[in-house]
Amino acid sequence: MTYFADKQPLVADIFSRYPDSPQGRRSALMPLLREVQDAEGFVSELRMAEIASLCGTTATEVRSVMSFYSTYHTVPTGRYHLQVCSTLMCALKGSDELWDELVTQLDVQPGEVSPDGRFSVQKVECLGSCGTAPMMQINDDGYYENVGPAKCARILESLRHDLQPLPDNLVPVTITADGRQTLASGEVVGTSITGLTRLPEHAGGDV
Amino acid sequence: MKVVVDGVELDLPAGTSAIDAVFQSGGDVPYFCAHKYLSPVGACRMCLIESGSPRKNPDGTFVMEGEGDAATPKIFWFPKPMASCTMQATEGMHIRSAKTSEVVAKAQAGMMEFTLLNHPLDCPTCDKGGACELQDRAFEYGYGASRFGFDRRHADKHYPLSKYVILDQERCIHCKRCVRYFEEVPGQEVLDFIERGGHTFIDTEEGGLPTGFQGNITDICPVGALLDNVARFRGRNWEYDHTPTTCTLCPVGCSITVDARNGRLERIVAGENRDVNEAWICDAGRFGHSFASHDRLTVPLIRGADGQLHAADWDAAITAINRGLAGQNMDDLALYIGADSTLEEGLALESLAELTGTKHVDHWPRYEVNITAPAATLTDVATADLVVVIGADLGEEAPVLELRILEMLRGGLLPAEFDHGTAIADLRLIERPVRKPEKLVVIGQESGLWKHAGTRIPANGLSGLTRLATPDTDDLRAALKALEDAKAPVIILGADALNGASGSFASTVASLASRTGAKVMAIPAGPNSRGLAALNLVPRRGGLGYAQLAQAPAAFISRLDPGVKARGFTVVHDTHLTSTAQLADVVLPALTNYEKRGTTVNLEGRLLGLEQAALSSGEAADLIRTLSALAEALGVKAKVRGLRGAQTLAAAKFGLKLESVPPRGVIHPLPTATTAPTGQVHTPTLWTERMQVPRGDSARAEHINSLIGMELPMTAVQPGGDD
Ligand code: SF4
Ligand code: SF4
Ligand code: FES
Ligand code: FES
Repeated sequence: MTYFADKQPLVADIFSRYPDSPQGRRSALMPLLREVQDAEGFVSELRMAEIASLCGTTATEVRSVMSFYSTYHTVPTGRYHLQVCSTLMCALKGSDELWDELVTQLDVQPGEVSPDGRFSVQKVECLGSCGTAPMMQINDDGYYENVGPAKCARILESLRHDLQPLPDNLVPVTITADGRQTLASGEVVGTSITGLTRLPEHAGGDV
Repeated sequence: MKVVVDGVELDLPAGTSAIDAVFQSGGDVPYFCAHKYLSPVGACRMCLIESGSPRKNPDGTFVMEGEGDAATPKIFWFPKPMASCTMQATEGMHIRSAKTSEVVAKAQAGMMEFTLLNHPLDCPTCDKGGACELQDRAFEYGYGASRFGFDRRHADKHYPLSKYVILDQERCIHCKRCVRYFEEVPGQEVLDFIERGGHTFIDTEEGGLPTGFQGNITDICPVGALLDNVARFRGRNWEYDHTPTTCTLCPVGCSITVDARNGRLERIVAGENRDVNEAWICDAGRFGHSFASHDRLTVPLIRGADGQLHAADWDAAITAINRGLAGQNMDDLALYIGADSTLEEGLALESLAELTGTKHVDHWPRYEVNITAPAATLTDVATADLVVVIGADLGEEAPVLELRILEMLRGGLLPAEFDHGTAIADLRLIERPVRKPEKLVVIGQESGLWKHAGTRIPANGLSGLTRLATPDTDDLRAALKALEDAKAPVIILGADALNGASGSFASTVASLASRTGAKVMAIPAGPNSRGLAALNLVPRRGGLGYAQLAQAPAAFISRLDPGVKARGFTVVHDTHLTSTAQLADVVLPALTNYEKRGTTVNLEGRLLGLEQAALSSGEAADLIRTLSALAEALGVKAKVRGLRGAQTLAAAKFGLKLESVPPRGVIHPLPTATTAPTGQVHTPTLWTERMQVPRGDSARAEHINSLIGMELPMTAVQPGGDD
């Protein structure tokens, strides 16, 4: 069964975002991969070939592109795919210990899925939350920050009951129409071109 | 454009890359990822140079340095060494290579250290040893030591990408030549980098490499990562006798180097001929060679009283032929040769036919038609603005012609030529080039080229051309219109169009060509049919053609295997004991074209030379010597008794100087081809059965086992001694 056979509108929508040329078709590679990855948890060889023929390229190129990103998987993942950042900041703050804890507790290694189909694990490069190291991402839902032993245990416990604890920080960070970012809590952070805060008038006299 | 390289001022054509500027100055730059016929990408960072350019003031004058008359434009140097393969040399640019710049020398040595960071240094066992660019460059430009003390990364070592190509992932230095080759040359993107960073490796997801042109990546891999599996572990580069010669498996006539060791043909690699095959050859040409050293006939065989063939010497064979033909008229002896025989051999045959007066002369394969329209060269094909291919399956008839057509589709850019040869980095070549399929019309049956063509018109046999000349569908009308509108169109005619073609076909071609200004390339049936056709080697009036061999009163057959013998006495001259040889009365051992000197004529009409590789072939003889032996048996004295004689004859008859054909060949107008009905259809097949019995997987395993089974001359080690 092909994946996209009954999803023609979706395919058309994805292609419509790119120029209508052979090169443009090839650019649709990533969203198509994303689609399969989200739905099936990984991209099988069959799907790679399917996407290749949709984009007018070869399965080799599809695999080449997807293997460049750690977010695409060639092997099945569990319902909860735990990604532990192992880059320097997190490593200094104990990501190795966190990793050891996970693989011992869950008895899975990279590329495996726990027998109950719940868990898979992966080491990833910097997730951009170095200030709250060590951190972990579950699926692509959110960031769990400052994951020490106690927090790790809590998270695993709830996941075992299929209760995914609320992430400390949602990803992707919501960006409003004017380019402003909002935290999971709804708090507005940063700024945007339109929403620049006006500086107070100079209070003093002449400069 | 004036460019100063290492203090020497050069005058260079615009568009020259910095790397070519250095080479043009007589200097040297180490490089791994750049390749003459591939796009420069700057992946290896080895070709570093220092460069700087003059700068202009706002008023258009140069920023100067120095006082008064001694003032010169000030050169603004880039703050760091740059990759020269992706940099264009510009007016007034100054370049310093490692010869004059310590910075460059140091940077290159450092780069070398990086490249060798994970390289396994299997040089003692790697087949590329002696031909490895990495090894040579490490020796010339490296520090000779590494500051990295940790263990090297390990990866898969014998990773088959296909039956013919083995990848050693550890040795790969990620130059991307193989990836770019597949993308840019045959247009099949079946190789790519998988994973990233320190884990990157080359692989295919397509379940193997496509046959056709996969072997070329073993030539261009600058290290021993991609190796020719047919030749792997058979010898080291310096052990081979390298013989540059011409491939005569098909009429393209690619330049190849035959590598022989201990008299065995172990490997064939591509040679460069800008006008013919650029730097590529097909898989048949590269991997189909094992027959040359396999089961060869090395001595003459004579059928004895017991009805069996027995080994003999040439004198006995000559006596046997003499006895066998006794009582027969000399002109009863039919003479048939394979169409890959050289021009010289053809001349010898023609002169013997004149001598004996036989009417039964022929060569095979050939067509009956003589196309007189202006002939296209391969460069014409590559630079055409429209190519119409009619009735051809290029994969079987002339594979490298297909590559030249694909080159045309991506713009027909031929790299410039310098004193140091073809431009090393031609900046006009780009990755993932835009192809223009509308420039290709294919009329005929589905073949490898089909999917690249903008217009595909199914047709059969001779009808393709006639229908193009007088179009009966919209597609054909459009194709004819495109042909008329094109400025430099080429029409290519293949076997399906030429089989059974007659004089009227030739005139249709000629009138279509003159009407549209097209040049025509009619692919000859055999590797040298075009040359042999110019020699009158077809049945004379009333003579029996090759198709009527079985009716001939007696026959001499050289390197053809029809599977039948003549009515009477039959002499077969061949390299192997073919089915025809098994029927023969006398079998004479022949040389393969790898072991011959001589000349062939390719599909452009280009004369190309053959050189003799050091293969052991016992008492085998080429056709010229065999024909003199035959003449001796017939009791006449052959006029052409050697290569020299044939060349003298060629000079006298046609004004051809065969002894001084330049390495790139030369196009020489040949005498009008003689034609005669053939009485049979020629189906081109590139890979003959003989070529396919390579040391296939099991045969190879057997061979290796037989080597291992060998007793080593060792005696038990005696313990003791005082060390
Ligand atoms: S396999 Fe050879 S040609 Fe291909 S990237 Fe590696 S080193 Fe370069
Ligand atoms: S294209 Fe023809 S001449 Fe060239 S290597 Fe192949 S068989 Fe030989
Ligand atoms: S190092 Fe872990 S998030 Fe950056
Ligand atoms: S960077 Fe590889 S040759 Fe220039």
